[in-house]
Amino acid sequence: MTQAQIDVRHLSKTYRVPERQPGLAASLRSLVRPTHTDVPAVQDISFRVEAGEIVGFIGPNGAGKTTTLKMLAGLLYPTGGEATVACCTPWERQPAYLRQISMVMGNKSQMLWDIPPLDSFRVLAEIYRLPAHEFHATLDLLVDLLDMNELLTKPVRNLSLGERMKCEMVAALLHRPAVLFLDEPTLGLDVSTQRRLRRFVREYNQQTGATIILTSHYMADVVELCPRVILIHHGSLLYDGALGGLVERLAPFKLIRLTINPENSNGAVDRALTDEIDVLEREAGRLVLRTARSATPAITARLLSTLPVLDLAVEDPPIEAVIDQIYQEGNV
Amino acid sequence: MRYYLNLIRQFIQASFQQELAYRSNFLIGLLHSLLSLGTGVLSLAVLFEQVESIQGWEFAATLAVLGVFMTVGALQNLFISPSLESLAGIGGDVLSGQLDFTLLRPVNKQFLVSFRRWQPFALIDLALGLGVLVVAITRMGSSVTSTGLITFVVLLASGMVVLYAILLAFTAMVFWSPGFLFTWVFSGVFQMARYPLGLYPGWLRLVLTWIIPVGLITTVPVQALTGDLEPAMLGGSLALAAGLLIAASWLFRVGLQRYASASS
Repeated sequence: MTQAQIDVRHLSKTYRVPERQPGLAASLRSLVRPTHTDVPAVQDISFRVEAGEIVGFIGPNGAGKTTTLKMLAGLLYPTGGEATVACCTPWERQPAYLRQISMVMGNKSQMLWDIPPLDSFRVLAEIYRLPAHEFHATLDLLVDLLDMNELLTKPVRNLSLGERMKCEMVAALLHRPAVLFLDEPTLGLDVSTQRRLRRFVREYNQQTGATIILTSHYMADVVELCPRVILIHHGSLLYDGALGGLVERLAPFKLIRLTINPENSNGAVDRALTDEIDVLEREAGRLVLRTARSATPAITARLLSTLPVLDLAVEDPPIEAVIDQIYQEGNV
Repeated sequence: MRYYLNLIRQFIQASFQQELAYRSNFLIGLLHSLLSLGTGVLSLAVLFEQVESIQGWEFAATLAVLGVFMTVGALQNLFISPSLESLAGIGGDVLSGQLDFTLLRPVNKQFLVSFRRWQPFALIDLALGLGVLVVAITRMGSSVTSTGLITFVVLLASGMVVLYAILLAFTAMVFWSPGFLFTWVFSGVFQMARYPLGLYPGWLRLVLTWIIPVGLITTVPVQALTGDLEPAMLGGSLALAAGLLIAASWLFRVGLQRYASASS
């Protein structure tokens, strides 16, 4: 087997957190004799990511996505297991490793607040030892892709959230990392800025062949960018594969949207709706039905032959509904 | 080495740009510096109006100790404190998880944490401190030899290392208790270094030389100027500075491994 760009083997992380009971007396007690509990954040996760892939990390809040990402970026030491990223062990934090990776966090900023972004970029160029011509070439490319030339000379504190996130992207990519960790990069951004950033991430991936792991709670990010998703829940890996596969496995049903001529068809509709069909919505000639995936072709044919159909569409259930089902039930 | 000097230049430039965005800070800084100079020199002048010397310390030498105290304090406020103190406290890098970005850089972490923030207004203090020092040395006159002057500069540098090591060690505590700024514990004791160690009783002198060695930072260098320094003291000072630096760097490394970032 060839060396994968990211190779994670049985990775685990347990946090030791102080335990506090409510009330003043309990607070005083914990001052004298503090008690701790072990919280397993990530449990025995294994996966491989090849160079150039974009993989989406999904899971509810507190599932262990960010903890996993932070271990892979070398920010946290695992309590068990191993990982190799770009041929290095991340938490050894070798300079040769750190020059190959980058991380963008939607809720944290690496920009210097009171000065224009260009000055922050210059400091980063020095830190990453970028020759002047390389720095300018990369900066021009990124600024062009993000269409943010006019932002370069405004103090960061005067920028909007979306403008700041563009700057964060440039700051993270100036040294052209081969592996990029994006932790909720579109958090709090408006729809157009989200789309712009998504397009940027895809273009960057295509142009540089960078490997990207993305976490996001916006399914649009995942659907548009990630051919492959890894689903984590309660610190364990539940699913690793194509997003479409997850939907098929989880939602073994289809939605049929039906518009019929409402005149004199009520009796026929009642007869057509057999036990194998769930009626989700029904109002004056418009119906939304749910049927088992395998039975859908036969049911569709029967509906078409027995009812005065004006329009019929067969759809997969919305991805948000599927994901919500997993988050609620905790299994795939 | 050139890489690190270039980095320092970049950090200075960026920090100065940031600080100069707030003009009123400059005026307040200037006022504060002049006040602390005035009270420092005035209190010595009043004291030495009454007496010729205290425990063998004359006005010029005592003024030199104040000059060293001010110079070292200014250097501390120029970069050591602004850099290290941004780690601790409620808005500090450790509690907020902002330290993540420091850890992601392919640079020595202790270097980054120690040199990344500069406070330009401390340059006023530095100029005033050096001014007091020059006045004091001029007043000491011909009793200062060139060997004494060189030894003084060496000891001043090693005093800076001692100060840095102590502050780094206290700062490393932040990994065990992230919300608390530990360096103030030292700042309180450091105020005692404003006056020559000779003015304090014997047991306190020992404590301030070897246990919390603030005496090494101010008094011992000035002893090189007055010719009162024993050779053993010179060796001991340099050895202690090296030992403290190694120990503090080790403590910082161990602390860094405890860093748990901030949740998401």
